[in-house]
Amino acid sequence: MATITYDRTTRHYPGAEHPAVDGLRLDVADGEFLVLVGPSGCGKSTSLRMLAGLEDVDDGAIHIGSREVTHLAPRDRDIAMVFQNYALYPHMSVAGNMGFALRMAGMDRTEIADRVRNAARLLRIEEFLDRKPKELSGGQRQRVAMGRAIVREPQVFLMDEPLSNLDAKLRSSTRAQIAALQRRLGVTTVYVTHDQVEAMTMGDRVAVLDEGVLQQCDTPRALYDRPANAFVAGFTGSPAMNLPTAAFDADGASLGGTTVPLPREVLRAAEAEGAEILRVGLRPEALYLDTEGIPLTVELVEELGAEALCHGVVDTGDGDEERLVVRVDSRTPPRAGERVRVGFRTDEVHAFSALTGERLGD
Amino acid sequence: MSVLDTPNPRRAESAGQQEAVEQERRHASTKRSPREGSRSSPLDRTGTGTRVVILVVLGLALLWTLVPLVWMVLSSFKPATAITSAEPSWLFTPTGEHYAGLFTGGNELIPYLWHSVAAAGLSAVLSVVLGAPAGYGLARSEMRGKRHLSFWIISTRMAPIAAVVLPLFLMFRQLGLIDTIPGLVLAYMTFNLPFAIWLLSSFFSDLPPALEESALVEGCTRWQAFRHVALPLTKPGLVTTFVLCLVFAWNDYAFALVFSGPDSQTLPIAASQLVTQAGIDWGQLCAIGTFVVVPMMLAGLAVRRWLVTGLTLGAVTGE
Repeated sequence: MATITYDRTTRHYPGAEHPAVDGLRLDVADGEFLVLVGPSGCGKSTSLRMLAGLEDVDDGAIHIGSREVTHLAPRDRDIAMVFQNYALYPHMSVAGNMGFALRMAGMDRTEIADRVRNAARLLRIEEFLDRKPKELSGGQRQRVAMGRAIVREPQVFLMDEPLSNLDAKLRSSTRAQIAALQRRLGVTTVYVTHDQVEAMTMGDRVAVLDEGVLQQCDTPRALYDRPANAFVAGFTGSPAMNLPTAAFDADGASLGGTTVPLPREVLRAAEAEGAEILRVGLRPEALYLDTEGIPLTVELVEELGAEALCHGVVDTGDGDEERLVVRVDSRTPPRAGERVRVGFRTDEVHAFSALTGERLGD
Repeated sequence: MSVLDTPNPRRAESAGQQEAVEQERRHASTKRSPREGSRSSPLDRTGTGTRVVILVVLGLALLWTLVPLVWMVLSSFKPATAITSAEPSWLFTPTGEHYAGLFTGGNELIPYLWHSVAAAGLSAVLSVVLGAPAGYGLARSEMRGKRHLSFWIISTRMAPIAAVVLPLFLMFRQLGLIDTIPGLVLAYMTFNLPFAIWLLSSFFSDLPPALEESALVEGCTRWQAFRHVALPLTKPGLVTTFVLCLVFAWNDYAFALVFSGPDSQTLPIAASQLVTQAGIDWGQLCAIGTFVVVPMMLAGLAVRRWLVTGLTLGAVTGE
């Protein structure tokens, strides 16, 4: 068990214009499940690979527990990693794959067999121990890769998009299994994914990265309730938060002729920037159909069974239009082309700077 | 007519669909894997005219390659009179006298055979043993000018043998390597090692790096990751490289002619010695030719599948 500390860790690939990871500062608590999430190219995989020792660190440091590991070889870091394509050794049986690290460490044969069998039982892959990886299904391979990490009883688990090769149904069940397993073993885990649903459901805390820079690191609840900037706001939650641009006055922002009231400190902060517009953050679930409110022309309705998503356009008056998605009841959805009014829960309105994207006010 | 007698149309349909899916999958797999490319022949997709042309060209190429070989093998079993007769004959009583003659009466082929096996075998083994780590290093390192280095290595293979024979001869004479097996092995390495490095490096490049990264994380040093993961997965490449190096060295005549003496002469030299001023013993020449060619053909056949993989570089999947 160990803590992990990224101390202004930077990776700048030779010849690249911007660093892949720029001054990452991040503390992972002992036993915590931390998820690194962001779009492709955001630096999440590079961050993980630096922790694994598979990528050079150009500046800053990395600590595991009390040890600095910045320039240590991967083998000296006491970590186990699950790769995106599992990276199972094709020439070894499942048991051979799971016991490989222990054999390399010179462990006693009978103890290796014991540990492998225990891990296999935990993951319900006992019957496959003699098979080669290519004789297994994707889900089984995934479990073997997990097993290979577990048998080593390392200080830290690293997982690099371990579910991205599974089909949707298997992914959601495996997601829950991995989270449960991690909680049971209590091993500090860093988990990389581009899927915000995975991030929100699995992580104790979630670190959102974009263009090599950490945007926010907090619990899923806090990310959802109080995103630090427009990027995080648009990245968390499904469907994504609506972020229309709107003019504002002393009372609030004006959207399609309707005033969305905003706290005074928000408006003051926006004014202080010298801006005339700001971005209003309204989650689809903070909106509802009403008799009065923002006028919306419905373009498309997606029926999801339990609910429906209503996509529409708001005419902002000056010839521009803004798009909104509203979560509505699936039994009485509006029809495409219909003009409706949209109300909003005033306590769930966010506001971001139109210039920097930073959250305005508290 | 009972219900049971009627064939279930829905079932038949689904069976047919299944077959179509199966077929499509097979088709897709042949397309995906160049190793199996020979099975879905390009002839399937071309018109009759082109087909005929292709077959004729292939037929001519086949004749061009096979007729001399077949004739040589046939002649090696013919009685001496039949070989030199003006009328080519297909029907004759086969005789082993030429083969027997190679090993008796002043003709001792065994030492030549031994020299060939030792020189070619050793140089092939050494090429693979040295070429694998070198090729691996070349495939995985991220140094500057890697492509130039890689090209420089293979470019040494392009130098004509005639260009290196004289300098090598002078060096070998200094070192006392003339007329020794190690001398021949060393000479063969001049063309086998660069080839082995180059070929093996492309095999290693085709392995997914994640496999070795996983090994590194699991406690391996770079060398152990190479030894326990990369090397076993490159077996087809190792075998292909070994066989090709073996063939190149086995068939060498120029180096053996210059560097070898009584203690190291190889089979091709033995063959040339049958061409004397007293005349040419065609029977024995054909026999020795067959003797030289057949083992390499067998070796080639044995690793044919891997050989094709090795020569269509980039086709290795590590499975």
